[in-house]
Amino acid sequence: MGQFLQFAINGLMAGAIYALIALGIVAIYKATRVVNFAHGYVIMIGAYLYYTFAVILPSAPWFPDLLFQPDWLVEAKSKAQMFSPEAAWLAWLEKLPRIIFGLICAIIGSSILARLIERFLMRPLLGQSNFAMIMITVGLISVLSGAKSMIWTGDAASVPHLAPNPALRFEVFGSKIFIFGANLVSMGLALVIFAAIVIWLRRSTSGVAMRAASEDQSTAYSMGISVPRVFANAWVLAAATGAIAGAILAARDGVSPALGLFGFSVLAIVLMGGLDSFVGVFISAMAVGILEALAQWQLGGDWVEITPYVAVLIVILIRPHGLLGQKEIERI
Amino acid sequence: MINGNLKATYAADEKIVDNRYKFSFVWGLAVLAALLPIFANDYVILVACQVGIMVVAVVGLNVLTGYTGLMSLGHAAFVAIGAYGVTILHHAASALSIPEGIQPFLTIPGAMALAAVIGLIVGLPSLRVKGVYLAVATLSANFIIIFLIELDALAPWTGGKTGLTTVDPSIFGWVLDTQREVFILIAVMAFSTVLLVQNLFRTRVGRAFIAIRERDYSAEILGISLLRYKLTSFAISAACCGLAGALMAYFYARVLPEQFELLLSLQLVAALIVGGMGRTMGPVFGVLVIVLSPELLKVILSAIAGDSIEAAQFRAPLQEIIFGLLIIGFIMFEPLGMTQISDRVFRALNRWPFARG
Repeated sequence: MGQFLQFAINGLMAGAIYALIALGIVAIYKATRVVNFAHGYVIMIGAYLYYTFAVILPSAPWFPDLLFQPDWLVEAKSKAQMFSPEAAWLAWLEKLPRIIFGLICAIIGSSILARLIERFLMRPLLGQSNFAMIMITVGLISVLSGAKSMIWTGDAASVPHLAPNPALRFEVFGSKIFIFGANLVSMGLALVIFAAIVIWLRRSTSGVAMRAASEDQSTAYSMGISVPRVFANAWVLAAATGAIAGAILAARDGVSPALGLFGFSVLAIVLMGGLDSFVGVFISAMAVGILEALAQWQLGGDWVEITPYVAVLIVILIRPHGLLGQKEIERI
Repeated sequence: MINGNLKATYAADEKIVDNRYKFSFVWGLAVLAALLPIFANDYVILVACQVGIMVVAVVGLNVLTGYTGLMSLGHAAFVAIGAYGVTILHHAASALSIPEGIQPFLTIPGAMALAAVIGLIVGLPSLRVKGVYLAVATLSANFIIIFLIELDALAPWTGGKTGLTTVDPSIFGWVLDTQREVFILIAVMAFSTVLLVQNLFRTRVGRAFIAIRERDYSAEILGISLLRYKLTSFAISAACCGLAGALMAYFYARVLPEQFELLLSLQLVAALIVGGMGRTMGPVFGVLVIVLSPELLKVILSAIAGDSIEAAQFRAPLQEIIFGLLIIGFIMFEPLGMTQISDRVFRALNRWPFARG
């Protein structure tokens, strides 16, 4: 029971990150009816930008080192015990300026990338078949992954966590539970962002415009909604949330090209939940997170990588439009 | 369209090679392929073999995506099944002491049948979903199949992550142990696949595929069983990819699971888009572009930068970028692919000297 709880909590923490990434795919789909196959690679670029601005640049000699080092902190740090919660807090506090700078630059950089993709690859195809736009995102996979290997030649590297990372131990029902602080905060952050954006899309004018554009592009246009701006907003929203998710993932697993492949499992999760349903995607992200943790527990680490794919195949066979997806009505 | 092709009989209209440009093109290619093993150097043979293998696979994908209108991003899995299947069947045939000279006649069809059966299973979701959902379903199937191949429990047969050493086929005692000899097999197979698939679309089955592509509900109302024809299309397409895999196993000394991952699936789709979907020559043109562009890049880079290590480091990412740009560029500027360009050329030739364009 204790072990089950431990794995379930791990699963929920992974699931929240999945939900945050899935948000980007759903937002783009809801606004533009394009399924972005390259979202994982956009996230990968976000993670590498975070790495560049939070690690590479501050360590360059000509750049301010962006460390928060007042005397009391240096003193406290020298006294703190290795691997104690205080040491984790102090290490985080010291790197806080780097983290903030890196995250902001990553969000800005990813948003610019998204604007460029939207403006030069998606907008010229406005009004043409969805197939063409989707295949363009498939082409983007190679372009982004090639560009990554050209710019960042190094191997996997580690980056600072967004939150202090003490190891938390506590007991529930007489069994020990072990959680990393940063993972817990990341989960909270992901959930808050997810909820905030879903509410924003439901309530705000831009959100309503986005829903209108997804319903019928030409009618929305004629009602005075700037459809291209809606599209650009959706892409920027996806890239910005993707950059945060990328930073979280990069801190958890290290920056590596594998982040791009991660996007495909999120795509599977999105289809499992239903392409146009935030609630469905949230449920399936959490479910896949827990399933992965259980697979790791019962079958071994290798099986984790195919869990989302098996899950999506089963769900699609039973419910073709995902758990809560809206059935598309076709004109014959 | 003025095309200058007068057809006096119905039979002439129904011919596979129905005008003299196609006739000279097909026979020209056939003669070229026949002369290659005699004159060409090893490098040309190597590239030609890669082209031939890819053509077989992309023709298979064309049956599914181009003619039946079902999107697949997972066809590399069928190539993998062909490659592993043929090797495993060779070992099994040797264990049953079947003479080596006739083994390929059993193992190649066996591998194709195996790929077709897996294709039927992977095709099951196509009955309920289409478009993006199907693309993701096939993508998932690709990941799962490669995972199973790498799985430790199956390693006694598949070799796990280290791959399998492949067998040199022997046709009635003629052992194909050089690339030059394997090229003959590949060329014969590539030609016959292209022609057989082209023939398919003169038949009832092929027409049914096209009807499903145009509008699946209308096709169903006309009495075409979606269950039967969608699965047939998956099976035929997977069998072609299985054949490509078998040829790959004969061509390379070793098959590795990472050869058949997402990158290959994307290459197959890219070749189809660049060439032109739902056209006979589409896969051929597309594969030529996709396989030759990295080689061209290699030549250009070594001309500019020499053999420095930096240039070699840049080459792989640059290839990837160019590959993506090819997909994007063709979708944006020539959505019907290379066949559209060749059509324009042939039309201009037909009308010359009376009109241009």
